[in-house]
Parts: sequence; structure tokens; C-alpha cells
Amino acid sequence: MMAIATSGDTSVPAPVRSPWLIAIIAWLIPGGGHFLLSRRGRGAVIFGAVLVTFLIGILMRGPMFQPHGGDLLTTAIQWGGFFGDLASGLLYLLTVWLGYAQPDAAGHVHDYGSKLIVAAGLLNILGIVDAWEIVTGKKD
Amino acid sequence: MKLNLTHFEVSILFALVSSAVLGVVTKKTDHERLRYGLQCFAYFIVALFGIGWVMHFLHG
Repeated sequence: MMAIATSGDTSVPAPVRSPWLIAIIAWLIPGGGHFLLSRRGRGAVIFGAVLVTFLIGILMRGPMFQPHGGDLLTTAIQWGGFFGDLASGLLYLLTVWLGYAQPDAAGHVHDYGSKLIVAAGLLNILGIVDAWEIVTGKKD
Repeated sequence: MKLNLTHFEVSILFALVSSAVLGVVTKKTDHERLRYGLQCFAYFIVALFGIGWVMHFLHG
């Protein structure tokens, strides 16, 4: 019987990664946490889903939510939408930094675009939570 | 360049990407992920048409 040399089975421990570092990277780059954890296929799906949703929202000229107040409902919608936008990480930060400032115009296309941008952030939150659970050992 | 997608097209897109991510983050094996993703997509489509018909009858 031929012996197969297995290097690194027990002698090299798996690198310990900080859950917070993984979460921050997963936030900034959708799917980035999964890539660092060697779940490349899952990371690619999350990255693709967030990117496509965000870009189509931008191409539909969806306005970003602004964190300002008013009555209770307006405050909840604006701040909730703002956090949803922000959850896309670098996609949101770069878009704002590059000067995207679509005014909140009337029309269903702008409205759908705005919601797609928020949806991209919410999908990224699912990815962040998944990466967190992997790195903390709650999930395989 | 500006995209002018309809409500239906945006709904299909949302169903597609949401189902993919839900499948990926929820299940353990690739087979389970694919199956759950397709299941979620089917539920989204059923809900889309179901709610559409409910609104149609409510509005008259």
C-alpha cells in the first residue's frame, strides 16, 4: 500500500481570524469575508448579487436616502434607508465619493432604483452575518 | 445610460438575487443550496402573482 504524505493535517493550526476583521471586510467588499475564509464560491455569489442589485439601482437613477429627521415615520424611513444604503460598503462609499447625488425625483423608475440600492445593502448584511457565523464556529 | 425597468422586471430581479443569497447563506451542501434557492424563487414568483391578483380584485 502506498503511503500518502499529508502535510499540515495536525501540525499546522488553522489561522485564527478576528470575527470583527472579517465582518468589516465583508461589509466593505461584499463576499470578501467568505473569500478570506476560503468559501470562494459563496463569496462570489454574494458579491455578484450585491453588485448587480446595486448597479441596476444606480442605473435606474435611484436616489440615496439621507439621514435626516422629520416626523416619526419619515425619520424611520430615512434613517433605515440610509443604513441600508451604507450596508453596501465600498460600493456606496465610492459612489457617493464619485459624486453620485441623484435628487429624489417623482417617478416609479427612480423609486424602484432607490429600493434596489437598499436591497443590495440588505443582501450584504446577510453575507456579513453568514461570514460572522462561520468565523465564530456557529456554522460550517 | 439609464435603465427603465418595469415593476415586474425589478421584482423578478429581486427574487433572483435574493433567492441566490438566501440559498447560499442558509444551507450546508451545494445540492441543498440550489434546491432552497429554487424553492425561494418559486415562492417569490407565487407571491408576486398572488399579491398582484389580490390588488387587482381589491382595486376593481
